[in-house]
Amino acid sequence: MTIEKTINGTALTVAVAGRLDTTTAPELDASLKASLDGVTDLTLDIHALEYISSAGLRVLLSSQKTMNRQGVMRVSGANETILDIFEVTGFSEILTLV
Amino acid sequence: MPEKSIRDMNALEQKHNSLSAKTFHAVLLITVILGLTAIVFGFSLYYTAIRSQYTNKAADLSKTISSLLDADEIGSYTDRVMGVFESLPEEKRANPESAEYNVRFGGIEDAKYRRIQLFLQKVLSSNGASSIYIGVADPEATHFVYVFGTNRFSTYRHPGYWTPIDSETKSAFEKLQTLSPLESMIPVIIDRSEAGEYMCTGTETLYGSDGSPIGNIVVKISVSEAARLGRRFLWQYCLILLAAALILDFFMVRHLKRKVVKPINDLAGAAAEYVADKRSGLGSDCHFDHLSIRTGDEIENLALVMTGMEQDLNDYIENLTAATAERERIGTELALATRIQADMLPSVYPAFPDRPEFDIYATMTPAKEVGGDFYDYYLIDEDHLGLVMADVSGKGVPAALFMMVSKILLKTAAMAGLSPREILERVNEQICANNREEMFVTVWMGILEISTGRITAASAGHEYPVLMQPGGRFELVRDRHGFVLGGMSGMKYREYELQLDPGAKLFVYTDGVPEATDAQGGLFGTERMLGALNRIPGGTPEEILRMVSRHVKAFSGEAPQFDDLTMLCLHYIGPASQKEANTVKELTVEAIVENIAPVTAFVDEQLEALNCPFKAKTQIDVAIDELFSNISYYAYRPDTGPATVRVEVQKDPMAVIITFIDHGVPYDPLAREDPDVTLSAEERAVGGLGIFLVKKTMDDIRYEYRDGQNILTIVKHI
Repeated sequence: MTIEKTINGTALTVAVAGRLDTTTAPELDASLKASLDGVTDLTLDIHALEYISSAGLRVLLSSQKTMNRQGVMRVSGANETILDIFEVTGFSEILTLV
Repeated sequence: MPEKSIRDMNALEQKHNSLSAKTFHAVLLITVILGLTAIVFGFSLYYTAIRSQYTNKAADLSKTISSLLDADEIGSYTDRVMGVFESLPEEKRANPESAEYNVRFGGIEDAKYRRIQLFLQKVLSSNGASSIYIGVADPEATHFVYVFGTNRFSTYRHPGYWTPIDSETKSAFEKLQTLSPLESMIPVIIDRSEAGEYMCTGTETLYGSDGSPIGNIVVKISVSEAARLGRRFLWQYCLILLAAALILDFFMVRHLKRKVVKPINDLAGAAAEYVADKRSGLGSDCHFDHLSIRTGDEIENLALVMTGMEQDLNDYIENLTAATAERERIGTELALATRIQADMLPSVYPAFPDRPEFDIYATMTPAKEVGGDFYDYYLIDEDHLGLVMADVSGKGVPAALFMMVSKILLKTAAMAGLSPREILERVNEQICANNREEMFVTVWMGILEISTGRITAASAGHEYPVLMQPGGRFELVRDRHGFVLGGMSGMKYREYELQLDPGAKLFVYTDGVPEATDAQGGLFGTERMLGALNRIPGGTPEEILRMVSRHVKAFSGEAPQFDDLTMLCLHYIGPASQKEANTVKELTVEAIVENIAPVTAFVDEQLEALNCPFKAKTQIDVAIDELFSNISYYAYRPDTGPATVRVEVQKDPMAVIITFIDHGVPYDPLAREDPDVTLSAEERAVGGLGIFLVKKTMDDIRYEYRDGQNILTIVKHI
C-alpha cells in the first residue's frame, strides 16, 4: 500500500493505492490521524485501491467521524469490488462517494 | 359452644370444656333449680298450714272462753270497772300505772273475780297462748280498758288498767266491726307485734243474756316458734339439697368418665396411633380391635364402625399399593416403548461418515410418551438414498405400533428397488389389507440419486417439503398429494422430481411444526417456519433443525406440546466423483498478522491456475484477511500457534473451498449477530463487520469444532 498526501490550504487529498487490509490499515490510520488537524476538506482518492477489508473500513469510519466534526470528507474513484463492499456493509450511506 | 378449637386450648381450658365439667355444671344447675322450686312450693304449703292452724287455735280459744264464762257475771264486773273509769275525769285517767289511779278500782277484786282470773290463767297456760284479756275498747278503738287479764309473763293487770290498743288488736277490732253479730266467725290477724314478735290475735264480742254487748275477749298466741321452725327447715333443706347435688354430681361424672369419656379418649388415641403408624409404615394393622369397648350404646357402635373402617382402609391401601405398582409397571413399559421407538429411528450422527456427497440430520420430539411421527433414511444402494417423513393418525401406544409396521413396510418396499410411487401404492395395499382399527399414515417418500442430486418423490397426504437451492432461500415445494396410506385400497400416487444442485438443502417435517400452538391457541404456521429456516440458510442440517426447534419453543412458550415435532434436513453437497478429482493444497503457518500476506499469496497462486475472475479473487482475498486476522488475534491469545489453510478446487460447478483450521479456544464466528448496517457513522460499532463481509461475499460458510479444532470453511463459486 502507498499513501500520497497533497495539502492545499485546509484541503487535504490522500491518495491510497494497493491493498487496505489488516496489516496496512494501521499505517493509514496513523497517517490520517497525524494530518487531519485543521483540515476542513478531506478527499480520499482510492481509484488505485485494489481492495479493502473490515480493518480498512474501520479507518474510514473513524475518519468520517472526525470529519463530521470539522468539515467534509469525500471518497473518490472506488472500484466495483470496493463499491460492492460499501454497499453490503451500509458504508455507501455513511460515506460521500464521488 | 367454645369458639376456639380444642387443639388451640391449653390444658386448663380443655379441662374446663371437658364433658365431665359440662356434666358437672349441668347437674348442679338442674339440682339447684329443682330444689329452689321445691322450697318455694313447700314453704308456701307450710306457711298456709301454720297460718290456718294458729287462726283456728285463736278462734277456738276465744269461743271456748266465751262459752265457759257466765256472760252476765262478766257483765257485772265490766259495768263496775267502766263505771269507775267513766266517772274519772280525763286527767285522772292519764297514768294507769299510778297508785292513785289504781286505788279507784279497789274492792272489785273479790273471790269470784279471782276465780275467773285463775280460770283464764289455766286456759292460757294449758293452750300455750301469749295473753288473754277481757275488757272494753272505746268506740274509736284507741285504748283498751282491762277487766280481766293474764299473759305468759304473769304480768298482773288490775281491773281498770288501760293501754293503747296495739296495731294487730286494732286490725282485729276493725275486722270485727265489718261482721254482723249473727256471723259466728272469729276475726284473727297474724302480724308482727310492736315488740317484734309474730302474733296471732283473735277477738270476740261478749254478749249478755239480754243480747247487749258487754266487752271483748282478746286472745294472743305467739307464732314465733313456728316461724323459727320454718326457718330452720329452710336452712337444713338447702344444705341437704346442696350435699345431695354434689354427691349426685360426683357419681354422674364418675359414670360419665367411665362409660363415655374414657372410651372416646381410647378411640381418639387409637386413631392418632393409626395415623402415626401409617405414616411411618410400622406398627400393627389392628388399632381399634383390642380396645374392647363394651358400653352397649352408641359408643360401642362407634368403636365397631371404627374397627370396620380400619379394616376397609387397610384393604383399600393394599389395593392402592397394587394399583400404583401396576401403574408404575405400565409407566416403565411405556418408557421402554418410547426408547424402543426412538431406537427405531436412525439417530447416530454423522449418519454416513464415509459419504461426503451429502449431510443429513433428523429429530423427533414426541408430545406424549410415545408418538406416531417417524422419519427414516437409508442407502438403498451405493447411489440411492431413501428419505421418509411420516405421521401416523392418533397418539400413544396404538400410533407407535402402527408407526413400526408402516416404517418396516416402507423400508422393505424401498429396499426392493421400487420407485416412490410404487412403494406408496404397495404399502397402501398392505396396510389396507389388515386395518380394522382404520388407522392411517401420511408419508412423504423421496429417493435421492446421489450422483446427480435428483430426488424422485411422492406424497401420501403429507406436508409440503421445503427446498433451498444454493444461494437461494428456503421455499415450499407445492407437490401433488395422494391420499393417506391405509385410507382406501387401490389408491394411485403421482411421482415428481426435484433437482438438487450441489449446496441445496431439503427440509421435510410433520404437521407438529406448523401446527405448534402458543398459549392463546395461535398456530406457528408455515410462514414462521420458513422464516426460521431462512435465518441460517448456510447452516448445517443440525443447526437448521435446532434453529427451527428453538423458534417453535419460543413461540409456544408455556403452552403444552400437542403434537410430535419431527424434522429432517438434507444437505446435498455434490457428487463424489467430482470431489475425488478435487485438487487439495495445504499450508500451515504461525497464526500471526504478518502471515496474512504469505497465506493470501498461497491461495492466489491456486486461483491464478483457475483463471479466477478479478472480483471473486478480491473477495476471497478480503475473506482471507478477515478470517486469518481473527485467528491471529484471538485463537491463541496471548500466545501464538499454528493455523492451517487448505484450498480445494471443485470443478462442475467450479468452486473454491477454503478451510481454516486452528487448535485455539473454541469460537464460532457465525454465532455472532450481524451488525446493523443502516446505522449512521456516529452510531456504528467497529466490531463484527469482517465476518459479515465474508458471509455476504462467499456462497457458503460453515463452522464446526471437531477433535479440538476450529474448522471454518468458505465456498466461493467461480
